Amino acid sequence: MIWTVFLMNLQRLRHNRGELMLLFIVPVAFFSIFALIFGKGVGATTSKVKVVIVDQTQSAAAAAVADALINSQGLRIMRSEDRESILSDEAIEMVRSGGVSVAIELRDSAGSVQANLLADASDQVAPQLVSAIVTQAIVESSMRNRASGIRSGALTRLEPASTDPEPALTESAVEVIDVIGEGKSNPIVSMYAAGIAVMFLLFGATGGGGALLEERENQTLDRLLATQLTMDQLLLGKWFYMTTIGILQVVVMFIWAQVVFQVDVTSRLDGFVMMTVVTASAAASLGLLLATLCKTRGQLNGLSVIVVLTMSALGGSMVPRYVMSERMREIGKWTFNAWALDGYDKVFWRDLPVADLAPQLFVLMLTGVGFLLAARVLAIRWQTD
Amino acid sequence: MAGCYETLNQSTTSTVTDSSARNGHAARAVLSISGLRKSYGAIDALRGVSCDVMQHERIALLGPNGAGKTTLIRTIAGRTKPDSGQVSILGRAVSESHARDCLGVVPQEIALYPDLTTRENLYAFGRFYGLSRALTRDRVDWALSWTGLSERANDLVGGFSGGMKRRVNLACGVLHSPPLLLLDEPTVGVDPQSRQRIFSMLDQLHESGTTIVLTTHHLDEAQQRSDRIVVLDQGRVIADGSLDDLVDQTVGSSRMVRLRIDKPLDQPIRTAFHSDHTVGNVGETLLTTRIENVTTELSSLVQSVSGEGYVVRDVEVTSPSLHHVFLHLTGHELRD
Repeated sequence: MIWTVFLMNLQRLRHNRGELMLLFIVPVAFFSIFALIFGKGVGATTSKVKVVIVDQTQSAAAAAVADALINSQGLRIMRSEDRESILSDEAIEMVRSGGVSVAIELRDSAGSVQANLLADASDQVAPQLVSAIVTQAIVESSMRNRASGIRSGALTRLEPASTDPEPALTESAVEVIDVIGEGKSNPIVSMYAAGIAVMFLLFGATGGGGALLEERENQTLDRLLATQLTMDQLLLGKWFYMTTIGILQVVVMFIWAQVVFQVDVTSRLDGFVMMTVVTASAAASLGLLLATLCKTRGQLNGLSVIVVLTMSALGGSMVPRYVMSERMREIGKWTFNAWALDGYDKVFWRDLPVADLAPQLFVLMLTGVGFLLAARVLAIRWQTD
Repeated sequence: MAGCYETLNQSTTSTVTDSSARNGHAARAVLSISGLRKSYGAIDALRGVSCDVMQHERIALLGPNGAGKTTLIRTIAGRTKPDSGQVSILGRAVSESHARDCLGVVPQEIALYPDLTTRENLYAFGRFYGLSRALTRDRVDWALSWTGLSERANDLVGGFSGGMKRRVNLACGVLHSPPLLLLDEPTVGVDPQSRQRIFSMLDQLHESGTTIVLTTHHLDEAQQRSDRIVVLDQGRVIADGSLDDLVDQTVGSSRMVRLRIDKPLDQPIRTAFHSDHTVGNVGETLLTTRIENVTTELSSLVQSVSGEGYVVRDVEVTSPSLHHVFLHLTGHELRD
């Protein structure tokens, strides 16, 4: 009897491709995705941190430090398109807009070079890495200067040249300044709220799409289409419903974030509303597209788990994209989540004006319309047979 | 919806058919099917089906599994596009939305939303059929009363028994008062009481003027509850008519008689009314034959058996039924 039960379940599994895929392929796929994010894999080297250098001193010592930073393997130096040098305000704006992770401001302090790192605190890796590289560059530059001074006889007393850096120099030469999160109450939480909200928005949308397959499976769809209801009306009705529920889902999430975690939603209501409406509508379109791609609810369950979790992993809902390699970040841009999260990031973290949301809004709207049209085309096969 | 009835009223002034004459109604075809063909790959589901359904008729569409009944119902409902042939409802092609307004469809599955209440399900389908809000509310009240579910109006349909779900399933298909109602096995999987209730509901619709076409595997239902029977097999109409017509065309009007005798037969018995052949097989106690006239031939048969020294223990006379007609037409072999 026990053997029969065992065998019967094995046979049922063999006939259920969706379950087989969930059991064996999805875990391997996710292992691979996370291995690529955290391990070497696609990003064969550690990603370079995008920085700009602001030289306020224009001294030879600062130039030497800047040269050392330019030659550093860990940094990718961004430059102004029209000028040689970059001003502090301009650099701060670049950090705010997400163009660079850190702006390195070199300044003079009692004859020695010091650096302020104007950073985006939401990226918890880049400021630490840049801080270490800049400290090393300043120390090495200082040591070279001292050594060259000894060789040229500039020093009157013959003292052995020390190879140890000056203690005071290493302690205070580099200061990290958060140029975005200052004055904000619990700002990082908004990023996580957005990440989780978008992921569950996608799960909700695929669930809503599944209702269409249920209707098809129990002949309710046939019955509906035998009335005055057309397939266009049915899909649009479902799309409006799923969009509305999605909007409410995100609103509830952010109301909770404001009440409990002090995320300032009310002061950025315009951007929040725009991003939420567009994201929810695009997610609804995706849900309908996935549903119309499948034949059964079981197929949809398997496909939606794969699609939603993959997009969430690559798009930053599970792991911040700043820890990913450059290549993985590029791949992530093909996901729904990345564009949505970038938009919310601009609203809540970078405090950018609504006009700056244009790329995200445009891409998500275009995606939503494209998905909806594709779903409509796929649903033609259900109209008549 | 009004357009449906205008067309229907105009149609009643035209041709009088044999069927309508039987029912005392002047009518013409509510549903007209002509040369319908449909293939799925190498399988021919419909091979030139033609049939007219007259106003006020109750048609039972019979056939073994895979005969093409569901394909035919789906094609009439506009859900399957035929390869060739035409379906018209009240003179309009079924592809026109107006024609579909005149049609109610009750699928074989319970095509309802289990997580909506009875009233919510009915209201939604009323609106999908294009009824105004006020009219939908009136029709929902009527449907609740008609189905006997007024007290369960606000309960979720998912918690209902099979029979109750079937009644709601039926009600959702007639909220717009269609002149023509298609039902695909409306009583499958329900107990005799629920079947009786469902057929009472259909009788009420029929009395109010609805033309009914239903498929069923319950031959007794088809026999008792239809004016005309259409038998479909392998995508073709192989018989069409009243039960009496079909009996005459197939098994004939003779009755089957079975006599059980007290001991095994020594030799076949010759009867007065069947001078050319004998009754019974040697060594058997059950004698089977057919008689044309029960009054004269049955007594003659019993006397012949008694005259040969046998005692008749039991007599069973079976009149030809739809069951015999069906098996005669479609054979005994399994089709799926």
